[in-house]
Amino acid sequence: MKKVTEKRVFVQVEKTFDEPAETIFDAWLDIEMLSHWMFGPAVRNEEILNLTNDPRPGGRFSYQVKRGNEILNHIGAYLEVKRPYLLVFTWGVDIEPAEESVVTIRIAPTATGSLLQLEHDMDLKWSAYADRTEEGWTYMIGLLHDYLQRKKAK
Amino acid sequence: METRRDVFHAIADPTRRAILHMLAGKKMNLNAVADRFDISRPAISRHIKVLTECGMVIIKQEGRERYCIANPQPLKEVEAWMKTYKDFWADSLDALDEFLKKQRTRKK
Repeated sequence: MKKVTEKRVFVQVEKTFDEPAETIFDAWLDIEMLSHWMFGPAVRNEEILNLTNDPRPGGRFSYQVKRGNEILNHIGAYLEVKRPYLLVFTWGVDIEPAEESVVTIRIAPTATGSLLQLEHDMDLKWSAYADRTEEGWTYMIGLLHDYLQRKKAK
Repeated sequence: METRRDVFHAIADPTRRAILHMLAGKKMNLNAVADRFDISRPAISRHIKVLTECGMVIIKQEGRERYCIANPQPLKEVEAWMKTYKDFWADSLDALDEFLKKQRTRKK
């Protein structure tokens, strides 16, 4: 599920949870919780070096992990922190500093828990082509779609 | 990540996009491609050169004919790049769900 707008590409993911919105919201900000689901050996083959955050608008976070011989520092700043329904932050990995991008998380209560919708708005490295990005992406994804359809038909 | 920029450069031009579109699903003789456009043959050749440099078109010699064939691989690479982000978040959310379920069991 991808949307294309002028200069932007979005990746969207959503998931329902059997927990109240507050629990889901806090899981994104609580370092202890983060170390159980977003980073660390519980999630993938990596070691947590340092997780710090300051969850308020303008506050920053740094989530440093070691994967094999590579040290990755996920860094960003909080843009909006509205418990329990909205969290917006920039997101980048320091080995690719030019690719900081924006993640928006919306959490809505449901009859059985909550629904989380995540949208990652990617800052494209090729912004030199920004004026043509929309055309370009729409076209490319269309081409790819056609190609995959044809492949399926064979 | 050179490929991505190359692909963008390739499709940044409307004539090149039209060429790719023409080649979608069928190979075409180089002259036949040029005949479809009102611009000069050297200009078309230059566009095709950009497309071949970006790996989006392959030129194949068959006897005395030269054919252009579209190659979707670079597009797939861009798609794959986007998918890495999508997968990262989807996996994270699944892990969050797992973690919360475990926590709840512990509390009981």
